[in-house]
Amino acid sequence: MRPFSARARWGIWLTSLALLCGAAAMRLDPKHFINTDILAMLPAQQDAPALQAATEKSRDAFVGEVLMLVSGPDADATRAGAQAALQAAEAGGLAADQSGESVDDLLELYREHHYALLDQAQAQRLVTGGAPALATDVAVSLASPAGMVSAFGSDPGGHLASFLTALPQPYPGFLPDGPFFSALRDGQRIYLMRSVLPGEAFGEEGSKQAVAAVDAARAAVAAACPGCRFTATGAPLFADAARREAQQESVVLSVASTLLIMVLIAWVFRSFAPHVLAGLQLVASVLAATAAVILCFGSIQVITLVFGTTLLGIAIDYAFLYFAEYWFGGIEPKDVMRAVRPGLYLGLATGVLAFAFLLLAGFPALTQFAVFSVAGLLEAGLLVVLVFPVSLTRPPEVPVHAGVLWPQRFLQLACRAHWRRAVLPIAALLLAAPGWFMLHTSDDVRTLQNLPPDLLATDAAVRSTLNQVPPPGFFLIEAPTLEEALQHESALFMRIGADSPGLATLGLSRFLPSTADQKASLAAWKHVFDDPAALRAGFTRLGLPAKLADRTTAEWRDAYPETFAPETLFDTAPALKRFVLQDGEQVALIATVTGSGDVDPALLAKDAAAVPGVTFVDPLARIAATFERIRVRTTWLVILGYGLISALLVWRYGRREALRMLYPPLLALGLTLGVMGWLDEPLNLFGVVALILILGLGRDYAVFLREGGATRRSPALAVSLSAMTMLFSFGLLALSHIPALHVFGVATLIGILASFLSAPLSLPPESA
Amino acid sequence: MRLRAMLPLLFLCALAARAADAPPASYAADFVQTRNLPGFDTAITSRGNLSYDKARGFHWEITSPYHYLFEMNGGKAREELPDGSQRALDPAQTPWLAAVQHIFVSALSGDQAELAAYFQVAVKPAGDDRRVTLTPKPGAIANAISRIEVTESGPGRPEHLEIFETSGGHMDIRFTPRAAAAP
Repeated sequence: MRPFSARARWGIWLTSLALLCGAAAMRLDPKHFINTDILAMLPAQQDAPALQAATEKSRDAFVGEVLMLVSGPDADATRAGAQAALQAAEAGGLAADQSGESVDDLLELYREHHYALLDQAQAQRLVTGGAPALATDVAVSLASPAGMVSAFGSDPGGHLASFLTALPQPYPGFLPDGPFFSALRDGQRIYLMRSVLPGEAFGEEGSKQAVAAVDAARAAVAAACPGCRFTATGAPLFADAARREAQQESVVLSVASTLLIMVLIAWVFRSFAPHVLAGLQLVASVLAATAAVILCFGSIQVITLVFGTTLLGIAIDYAFLYFAEYWFGGIEPKDVMRAVRPGLYLGLATGVLAFAFLLLAGFPALTQFAVFSVAGLLEAGLLVVLVFPVSLTRPPEVPVHAGVLWPQRFLQLACRAHWRRAVLPIAALLLAAPGWFMLHTSDDVRTLQNLPPDLLATDAAVRSTLNQVPPPGFFLIEAPTLEEALQHESALFMRIGADSPGLATLGLSRFLPSTADQKASLAAWKHVFDDPAALRAGFTRLGLPAKLADRTTAEWRDAYPETFAPETLFDTAPALKRFVLQDGEQVALIATVTGSGDVDPALLAKDAAAVPGVTFVDPLARIAATFERIRVRTTWLVILGYGLISALLVWRYGRREALRMLYPPLLALGLTLGVMGWLDEPLNLFGVVALILILGLGRDYAVFLREGGATRRSPALAVSLSAMTMLFSFGLLALSHIPALHVFGVATLIGILASFLSAPLSLPPESA
Repeated sequence: MRLRAMLPLLFLCALAARAADAPPASYAADFVQTRNLPGFDTAITSRGNLSYDKARGFHWEITSPYHYLFEMNGGKAREELPDGSQRALDPAQTPWLAAVQHIFVSALSGDQAELAAYFQVAVKPAGDDRRVTLTPKPGAIANAISRIEVTESGPGRPEHLEIFETSGGHMDIRFTPRAAAAP
């Protein structure tokens, strides 16, 4: 068969890439090209619809919230400062919380229906005690310093006041004050503004907008009230700080690694062509990989792009294999492809096989990683096979120099039959072994981020001022009807009140007694008012005017008291709808608790388990559990994939030699895990991804050395260049302040060094 | 919504109105409380006594026409009801009580800041006495209270307290200070 011409090769390569990109473009949703919602990478299909909706609702309520505090010694000046901050924040795109605006309407609704608002204990007291009990309540209301100026006329027993007092306080100690909540602490008047970011808080645009609005609010306070202090906290501010830190680190580390790699390539090959071809290979493989993912999923997750690109670092091995053979293999350019083909194909096959196994994981994140990596590797291989031979056609004119010879010398030294060759790896493994038992796993997403200390301190100060820490999760109360759900929620809150008296509960039942409770309340009042004579007697016995009893009875009769429906409450205070999820026939309520300190999720889960239809949902724990599942399953799939690759190597080289080739990557893996244990670095999902990379590189090195010739110059050079570029690319990540990247960097740094140093062990020893 | 939590010890606020000048270490008085309800032509009168000092806290007792007792000291408070029963009040469970306690402590320490946060405070001479008028600033209190007037013989020693409600209701408390606080 006639070989393809250069033009045909370029044409085939470009056409295949163009077809892939074109097909992806047709599938692409331009508005959501890159999906930044990392949580969407987690499996959602295991959640019931109500739980999924509740989780999203709970998350949305948290991620967009920005709390701003303005404090100062002078109440009027501080209020002016708060007003200026509010206006500036709103002008900047933050929406002020409007839930306080319906307070007056809500009060009116409760006044109108106050006979339906007795709690169970109060209703029981009136049923049991009858008229004397009500007379006593009226007397106490008149006498108590707490009741002396309450709305006695319409609520002589103080029962409505009791209900209103018991309503949840959004921020304990802070009172509604126009568009603010305000409090006095240590002589400082404090105004709290709660605002919400309408857009995506974790998106770049949204978090930038929130930071700009907060900065504008800070400036407005400084201008309007120079003596005032301004503090703000919220998830969008943390998201912006994290993004900025990641971008800064990314730029510094990328520039450093790129420069180092370019200097290395220039030093070794002394030619511009490797830069161009390696760059072309990287761009093409990322492009093809992205297109493949979009073709399969419609969009690509940002984490797939970041980690997939990292994994595609393996692809540069193919380029170095070719370059080393071409420049320093000592053969004609036309023969280079034939020389590298076995190693290239076998490396490609084992790489694709290893990543393809991740398709079986069943997790969206790993499925995307797998598609991305397989497509990227195939594209990289295709480019080497089609384009490199027609691009590097002239015999190279670079003389062999010291930078080319040392890998070969190292390999020859390491392959010499000597006791050190057997003992040193075992000794290293023995030294590392205790680290295996010190290694600990971590799947808590909070430990993956580096949150700026100043923001954390501000957040802690704000939460301390508010005397409120964010709840550890939420309750999901499911029932066939809203009435039943309200009853279950009430039972849950009673249980929490008994088990954890310091906690404040927040849920719809705090605003809307169940119809059964409302009816019981009305029945209790009716019981009292059905005997006016007894009521008169009860009043006069305490020295209260009988006419007051008559008036109280008349008010009951004139009121035509009745229960009020949930719809009436929602019409009055639409914000309360946020507690309700309607899913077809099923109703679910979302409820939560707050406290002044950390709340034990286990205790809440125990309370939830005791009430029918109630589940306590700890989103962070759920995410951690999912990460753990992904990590464990990935580990097993990698082991399984490696088993298959082993079979391939056995088929190709026989059992003995295959085992020899598998020894270095497994040794590198063992050393990496041991050293990570010694260094107290946690093993998380990102660490496991690093281990995949390490195994892939170790496997490639073994194959390249074996197929390229035991101690020939070019495969030794290819392996050395690959190891060094990998160290520059990923080992530098060990310097990152972001824990996720740091762990990845540490693992790859150790693993690549170990893979490189142990690579000669894949070759049989040679006699001196 | 939080009206009652704000209203409770406006009385103590009133006592504190001038306390900053020379906060009394203790105070004790008998009182007569007369309450006029809107649309109700019969005034409701009760008698009792109050006392407070830093060691024993706040004592509020109605002696006629029935017996009622409210005592608060430190973080705890208790009531004796007209039917003879007693109940303990925990500020953590009773938000209004926490507010009462906070204001009470402010009153005893002569701290007017809490008061000034919610009221315009005006002081005028009234013969040998002084009249303090508290007018609520816009907010929850202003929805229920038009103004509070306190006539006092000396700083933190009220003789006459009047509360004018927006509903038309009116409360009048006349104090007769005792010679010395109870031991």
